Amino acid sequence: MSLAVEFRSISKSFGLVEVLHGVSFALQPGRVVGLLGENGAGKSTLVKILSGYEQASEGDFTINGVAHRFANSREAEREGVVLIHQEFNLAEDLTIAQNIFLGHERLNGWLLDDRSMNAAALEAMQKVGLAASPETKVRKLIVAEKQLVEIAKAVSRNARLLVMDEPTATLTPTETERLFVLIAQLKAQGVSIIYISHKLDEVERVTDEVVVMRDGRFIARAPTCETTRQQMANLMVGRDVSDMYPPKELPPVAAPMLKVSGLTVPGWAYDVNFEVRPGEILGFAGLVGAGRTELFEGLLGLRPRSAGLIEIGGHAVDLRSPRQGVRQGLAYLSEDRKGKGLHVRLGLRENLTLLTLERYAHPLLDPRAERDALREKVDEFGIRTGDLNNRAASLSGGNQQKLALAKFLHADPKIIVLDEPTRGVDVGAKRDIYFLIQRLAREGRGVVVVSSELVELIGLCHRVVVMRAGRVQTTLTADQLTEEELIAHATGTH
Amino acid sequence: MPPAPTSAPVSGPSPGQTPGQSPAGASRLAQLVQQIGPLLGLVLLCIAGTVLNPDFATTDNILNVLTRTAFIGIIAVGMTFVIISGGIDLSVGSMAALIAGSMILLMNTISGSLGSPYLVVGIGIAFALLLGALFGLAHGLLITKGRIEPFIVTLGTLGIFRAYLTYFANGGAITLDNAVSDIYSPVYYGSVLGLPIPIWVLLLMAVAGGVVLNRTRYGRYVQAIGSNEQVARYAAVEVDRIKILTYVVLGLCVGVATVLYVPRLGSASPTTGLLWELEAIASVIVGGTALKGGEGKIAGTVIGAILLSVISNILNLTSIISVYLNAAVQGVVIIIVAFLQRSRR
Amino acid sequence: MKSIIRRLTLTAAALAALTAVPAFAQNKVVLGVAIPAATHGFTGGIVFWANQAKKDLEKANPGLKVIVKTAANAAEQANQLQDLMAVSKINTLVVFPFESAALTKPVTEVHNKGVYVTVVDRGLTDTSAQDAYVSGDNTAFGKIPAEYLAKVMNGKGNLVAMRGIATTLDNERMDAFNGVLKNYPEMKLLDAKYANWNRDDAFKVMQDYLTRFKEIDAVWAADDDMAVGVLKAIDQSKRTDIKIVFGGAGAKGMIKTLIDGKDPRIQANVSYSPKFMYDAIKLTAEARLKGEKLPATYIIPSVLITKENASKFYFPDSPF
Repeated sequence: MSLAVEFRSISKSFGLVEVLHGVSFALQPGRVVGLLGENGAGKSTLVKILSGYEQASEGDFTINGVAHRFANSREAEREGVVLIHQEFNLAEDLTIAQNIFLGHERLNGWLLDDRSMNAAALEAMQKVGLAASPETKVRKLIVAEKQLVEIAKAVSRNARLLVMDEPTATLTPTETERLFVLIAQLKAQGVSIIYISHKLDEVERVTDEVVVMRDGRFIARAPTCETTRQQMANLMVGRDVSDMYPPKELPPVAAPMLKVSGLTVPGWAYDVNFEVRPGEILGFAGLVGAGRTELFEGLLGLRPRSAGLIEIGGHAVDLRSPRQGVRQGLAYLSEDRKGKGLHVRLGLRENLTLLTLERYAHPLLDPRAERDALREKVDEFGIRTGDLNNRAASLSGGNQQKLALAKFLHADPKIIVLDEPTRGVDVGAKRDIYFLIQRLAREGRGVVVVSSELVELIGLCHRVVVMRAGRVQTTLTADQLTEEELIAHATGTH
Repeated sequence: MPPAPTSAPVSGPSPGQTPGQSPAGASRLAQLVQQIGPLLGLVLLCIAGTVLNPDFATTDNILNVLTRTAFIGIIAVGMTFVIISGGIDLSVGSMAALIAGSMILLMNTISGSLGSPYLVVGIGIAFALLLGALFGLAHGLLITKGRIEPFIVTLGTLGIFRAYLTYFANGGAITLDNAVSDIYSPVYYGSVLGLPIPIWVLLLMAVAGGVVLNRTRYGRYVQAIGSNEQVARYAAVEVDRIKILTYVVLGLCVGVATVLYVPRLGSASPTTGLLWELEAIASVIVGGTALKGGEGKIAGTVIGAILLSVISNILNLTSIISVYLNAAVQGVVIIIVAFLQRSRR
Repeated sequence: MKSIIRRLTLTAAALAALTAVPAFAQNKVVLGVAIPAATHGFTGGIVFWANQAKKDLEKANPGLKVIVKTAANAAEQANQLQDLMAVSKINTLVVFPFESAALTKPVTEVHNKGVYVTVVDRGLTDTSAQDAYVSGDNTAFGKIPAEYLAKVMNGKGNLVAMRGIATTLDNERMDAFNGVLKNYPEMKLLDAKYANWNRDDAFKVMQDYLTRFKEIDAVWAADDDMAVGVLKAIDQSKRTDIKIVFGGAGAKGMIKTLIDGKDPRIQANVSYSPKFMYDAIKLTAEARLKGEKLPATYIIPSVLITKENASKFYFPDSPF
């Protein structure tokens, strides 16, 4: 049986700040609904209330006409409502089966019934297309597989309303395709789905209707087939955002700033050659696991290299740590923003100046100068923050990413490598970041963009290197860039 | 099905306000209490002490308590760096004992051949500091280059240091020669401007520690590493070097504490520095530093150390509680203070 | 008191006679010694005297083998007892139990296999497992200082005391001390706090006593290590009201001070020397060599040490 949901003027406050202002709308059963909005629009809070992770300050919702207020996620699960978080809720050191049954263990008398749980887990895994042993530790899975574990968990608990928060943020195009097939299957089985995503092309493909929220309010609801991507974006931002990408400017003809020949990072990348010229934006495309991130970590000495020559400005360099990279004018912004890019528990100021502390130490640090620098960068990069003394954790995803960019650019690198610079970032912030990247190139820097969003590589880059299974498959020039071409090379079906 | 509006009024909260982060007015007080928790605890304890025995508030008693806090306080300052960086050192008590013993043996040996006892004391002090730094360096290298958990490395040296002291002392005490002892004793018992020297040294170390932690690159890097080691590494921080340095700093602090300790009794025995590691770690944590690293305050640490000695001082000054329950009183006070300054996460 | 000294001298004479007996009637004796490791002054002395006994006795008796084992905790000591049985094949055991209760069972097992067992200092909970018990005199350790202080203070004045670590042994001493004070209503014991037989803790406790009590006539520090801390704290306060500091156990530093008369506050001490370890091994070994038995209980008396007899208790080679 499918679930119909109606929100009845839901408000939610954290302390004095109200983040949801009386949201009301209804969802028909058995449909896929795209929930759209910029970061901070209140989508996540709303679905957390629906799935029992938060409680509404005012108002309530009905499920099939019955009013509910869930005190915790278990109560929500009992009614068939399951939320798959943006950041996974998996115990890394437990097996897939143990995770799927966490808190719902099957017992055989006093003892755990592992055999039955493994069998049931395997069944759920087959439903979602996850090919692995149920006894595999979650730590050993790649991100896309972890996502499938989350969905298998929901399936095994008989979810009748599934909420997916940015499910494809970390998936490659093929994995995304597989997820869409799965969504179609679930829908056919009568499962209602709320699909939250910034990727409007996916929303267009997979949803039946869209609901747009902005600033904690319900803005609009419309059938997907009657709404263009442009209209969706305009509704989300509240203004016209037709020009997502800046016009491409041809880089001047010059000697390469960074030249890499025969670079091998054992286990990840083999015999990789590429070069970046001043003013050029070089893209790196490939599936998750193609070795792009690991290639650049190897380049900076964060992973062992077994062969290869690295030349910066025509001189061979031996990079053993990011510190040496920065000294040579090469900065790398990791794809893992919270794990490797930003100190979310530290303040904005401490994050901004970490790479360049020597500028503020005479020899004692000068917090006033740091604060001035922060104020300047907050303006320059358009970082939206209430208070300059906030911790980085208080910023939304897009603003955290802007801060991370500001931090690595503060070292004034000649070459900057940006790994997934727009992951989990809303439309408005994405556009800001694209224009920033273009500005960096215009200033004569070499920019490398590693991305899984093909549209973005096509919109931004002068050339794109496509990697597959650790090797460079091809390098495409701007006039060769199409989604079909990129996917074909990345999957080896060219 | 309700009608599907295609637009709704737009007037949200001002941009930049982020959900769930700004503190509400009601919790401001809670936040304040959290920040000054240890100080609040100390003040309440001092009031209780004065009520129970008016002698508590005398200058002599306060100076006594502060002077005896000096050893633990100085070690705790160094421990704050190690804990903020995400490490731990269990060996400080044994290290202090071994440094004390070695220092006394050296001074006794050279006092015969060197004419000036001042020179003997000077060499002894330099030796103690050097030994502390070397022990810290060994810890740092084993932890970073050897990739062994700090808990295990320092648990190992805890045994090693104390065993060697016991071996050198034959299980008894190592006692400083009288001639040297007389010259050296003012370092503990002497006063400058009415304040005993150990208190001056503690103040100096605390101020220096605070400045280094909050106003130098090294201090910032220590916080960055403890907050998230990976992020620090990706942000071009030389993580290993900074971590090694925290252990060297702690070793030096232990050296300084020992230099003040030796003139007090003029001897070192296998009971010297017993359980100092727990007192130092407790001071740091009670003072508001997170045991998992990332953030902490030197001032809090010093207050924590004073708080711990005030508890036993009050217990000694009164007889209202059975001596069998002394440890229980200490435990209760520590937990109450930790409760006051607990983080709201 | 004279009688006690006489008893000691007699024992010494008897011992001397025993050693002098030539090697006829000698059985082969393998003697295991299980004692706590040297972690503080007193146990350091125990280890020293055990090794001293091994050296002296093996030299004097070719038929004797002494094996000394030191343990850091009760479990280790229990393991050592098994090793002594299985590997070293001992037929005589002198054991200073780490803890009374925990070691009773392991010692019983050794005893059941026909080994002659002498228990030292801390008695077992089941005395049937021991053939002989040699111990210091904890009652006298508390009683003698109290009697001495009462005498020199003419039965009146203010006292403070230090206690060791909360154990039955410490309680016996304290009870004996209090028992004597009952007879002197004008002797006031102001307080008795634990200082853990530790110099540093005694220093702190004494500082706080000095803050709290304006008039103190004498301190019963109850241990020479603690007396060191007490003296330093008094020196620092520059107080002159304290006339006597009474330590205990006769550590060599304190005995030396007593002999030299260097500190007027140190006038007397009470013996509780770890040397009883030496005596216990010697008595046991020699009885066994001759195939004789020891008396079931042998208390090595604690005696008052004053300037007159101090040199008899001074062992410069011992670490304690």
